Amino acid sequence: MNASSEATQGSHHENGATPFALSARNVTKKFPGVVANKQVNFDVARGEVHTLLGENGAGKSTLASILSGLYRPDEGTVLRNGIEIRLTSPRSGLSHGIAMVHQHFRLVDRFTVAENVVLGSKGLTFVLQPKDIEAKVAEVAEKFGLPLDPRAVVGELSAGQRQRVEIIKALYHGAEVLLLDEPTALLAPPEVVKLFETVRAMTSAGKSVVFVSHKLGEVVDISDRITVMRDGKVTGSVKRGDANASRLAELMVGREITLAPRRGKSDSGEVLLSVSQVHLSHDQINILSDVNLKVRGGEILGIAGVSGNGQRDLAEVISGLRQPNKGAVTVCGLPTFGLGARATRKAGLAYVPEDRLGTGLAPSLSMVDNLLLTRERGFLVDRKSALTEAEGFIEKLEIKTPGPLTSIRKLSGGNAQKVLLARELFSGDMSRVLVVCSPTRGLDVGAVEAVHTLLDEARKNGKAILLISEDLDEVMTLADRVLVLYRGKIVLEARGASEDFEAVGRAMAGLSA
Amino acid sequence: MIVGKTRIQLEARLTSPRWLIVAVPMLSVLLASVVGGVFLLLTGHPPLRTYGDLLNNGYTSFYGLTDTLGLATPLICTGMAAAFAFRMNLYNIGQEGQLYLGMVGGAWAGIALAPHLTPFIAVPVVLVTGALFGAAWVLVPALLRARLGTSEIVSTLLLNYVALNLINYFIFGSRGFFRDPSTPFPQGRMIYESARFDPFGTTNTYPTLLVSMFLAVFLFWFVRSSNYGYETSVFADSPSTARYAGMNSTWLTTSVLLVSGSLAGLGGAMYVVGPAGKVDPGILQIGLGYAGIVVAALARYNFVAVILTAILFAGLRVGGSALQASSDPVPIAIAVVLQGAVLLFALGGELFRRNRVVITRVTESHQVIVGEVS
Repeated sequence: MNASSEATQGSHHENGATPFALSARNVTKKFPGVVANKQVNFDVARGEVHTLLGENGAGKSTLASILSGLYRPDEGTVLRNGIEIRLTSPRSGLSHGIAMVHQHFRLVDRFTVAENVVLGSKGLTFVLQPKDIEAKVAEVAEKFGLPLDPRAVVGELSAGQRQRVEIIKALYHGAEVLLLDEPTALLAPPEVVKLFETVRAMTSAGKSVVFVSHKLGEVVDISDRITVMRDGKVTGSVKRGDANASRLAELMVGREITLAPRRGKSDSGEVLLSVSQVHLSHDQINILSDVNLKVRGGEILGIAGVSGNGQRDLAEVISGLRQPNKGAVTVCGLPTFGLGARATRKAGLAYVPEDRLGTGLAPSLSMVDNLLLTRERGFLVDRKSALTEAEGFIEKLEIKTPGPLTSIRKLSGGNAQKVLLARELFSGDMSRVLVVCSPTRGLDVGAVEAVHTLLDEARKNGKAILLISEDLDEVMTLADRVLVLYRGKIVLEARGASEDFEAVGRAMAGLSA
Repeated sequence: MIVGKTRIQLEARLTSPRWLIVAVPMLSVLLASVVGGVFLLLTGHPPLRTYGDLLNNGYTSFYGLTDTLGLATPLICTGMAAAFAFRMNLYNIGQEGQLYLGMVGGAWAGIALAPHLTPFIAVPVVLVTGALFGAAWVLVPALLRARLGTSEIVSTLLLNYVALNLINYFIFGSRGFFRDPSTPFPQGRMIYESARFDPFGTTNTYPTLLVSMFLAVFLFWFVRSSNYGYETSVFADSPSTARYAGMNSTWLTTSVLLVSGSLAGLGGAMYVVGPAGKVDPGILQIGLGYAGIVVAALARYNFVAVILTAILFAGLRVGGSALQASSDPVPIAIAVVLQGAVLLFALGGELFRRNRVVITRVTESHQVIVGEVS
């Protein structure tokens, strides 16, 4: 390494001695109708965890994609160890020791861990030497605390394990700089702890980690530095120790944000939703076993759990979309077992599904047409009253849209969710029970706050709300009581207070309390 | 794409200007004519004069236009049939077979029922019977699709060949009910006179034109304003949203395909009460069913626009046939080439409606946009 030649290239640590492992200089990237990155500067040093924090659409994933070679910047440069490099593809990024682990894994389900790791390698022999590869994969896994069997088939692994495969893959190919895009999105709390251990093992081995996230809470612990982005620009950068959640939230959103927990007043309301002894199985696999719960008016009951433990099935059973093998569901005193979705809705149940654009809303249709979706319609549809209603919602909930006749697809996630919540909360004949699944998934901090306020208000108005969410923070912030669903069983009931946080986290991971 | 120092890119449009909706089809027709012109030149026909003749024979002369409208009548029906199913992402491409069955059903009613009916309702009975036969022909594919998820594309297409052979059997292969018993020459038995429409004057346009145009306008209104139209839009956009809202997907799928089949069958029955008066294998050569798919696609599944595109296509066909019979005969294939070219350019034009072309000059550090082509 020739330090003096690097010195002429600029881009240094504050003390001017070693150049940054990876930097972006004045990077601008435009997409149709939006400037995703505007004159962005960013750098990460050797052995550092530098977090890119920002809301959805702030431009952090775009920046990470530019740094890893997936996108090319319209303007600006990328420097590796102070030397300008031109990345034309993720593979050219990898040849410079830069790798990105995407939020949506890019693995072949039917291949083993080892096969996925070597996938795309150039130096493979014509006949694979699985033993050697497996040994090397196991070695990398061991070194960075990533326990994994190299011969396991990826399709059978959990989300956390798949993520480990991606990380091992990057390390196997010699990555020195790792960009992790929303790495905790799919993980249970204990898995997050494990991931953080791996990140520390990597940095102490001299590697650099860029941690891309929109979750305030978790990044403070892990980061050496946090850079906040908003609307494609860097709004601020704080060092370890100077970071506090409310300051970061302000940088992200541009205004003050309430993060305090909200609770209901009393638990004396009448039971509006009750589920008893529900069993559901499919192909002789138990999806739900013996689920019992009661939700009172004026209460939010939270269901915590890692994705795929029966949450969606439970919501579908309650809303009448799926018939359980056994059990009873009562909505506002009326048994709704086996009556179907329309009758359950008529009994007073509103349902906000997790997949808001593909299930709760019809994305190509207008807001007006989407408000009609759960109404009683005659032979002809009455768009006039729906239009008035839509205009009212736009004003009351501050929904940002070109107009009530614009298709929902063109709205941001937060605004689409407001439309969906408005319909389920206020439209039509005012249901008294609300089942809501992951209502803030993928939403930015500002929209999360708005959604939580709406749910809190609905609680104050006496609605019984069942909140099913994979986001433990959300459940803990809103719910008066919490049930943990693990492999289709309720394994823990807790009061929604923060002292139970750890017990709930352990239960979510299937560890007995 | 990079040419020299220039990069040509397609960029998604956030909004499509309204004028493009009109400009793209017009330009497609123009470019298709250029392509057709090349073929004309290659075969030794002066393109401009040939196009002049085509225009005159297909659209601008009185008898040309009325012939065109006559042919457009069943074509509007098959176009509506395709549009009705396609807008719900159900690809019924069996209009051809459903049209034949409509003809068979219409002829049966015209022969067997019409003598017992007052003249006033004989024609409607023939039309409705044809529509029912068309619907019956799509019933099995519809149920297979709705119940088992079997691809309706394959099943409806295959039934076209069954229908084709059925017609051939009725007229050429047997001496059955539909064959004219009075002559050894194989042709269809004429339906009862009271079950037929007279054309307007000496033209080849029949009052059924008004029926199909009225239906197009009605459907245009119906899919926008009725609950049924609303539910089909939701289902087309997102089947799981439809399920969420408690809509009955089996019913929607089945009924949409049945309506689609009945519209195609109605087209066949219109051919019976109008020009043919019998089961006429002559219709097999026209390909009205397949043309309906093109008509619907060009109209972008808009029922009123189907009227216009059906007339456009019928005119090409009528004008093309007339050219064949002129002193300097031009093969009918040229008209078919033109039809195909119009479709290809129209579909290609969609690309430019949704995207725009951005031309940038690639320089060392950044790019300068030198021009945008809308």
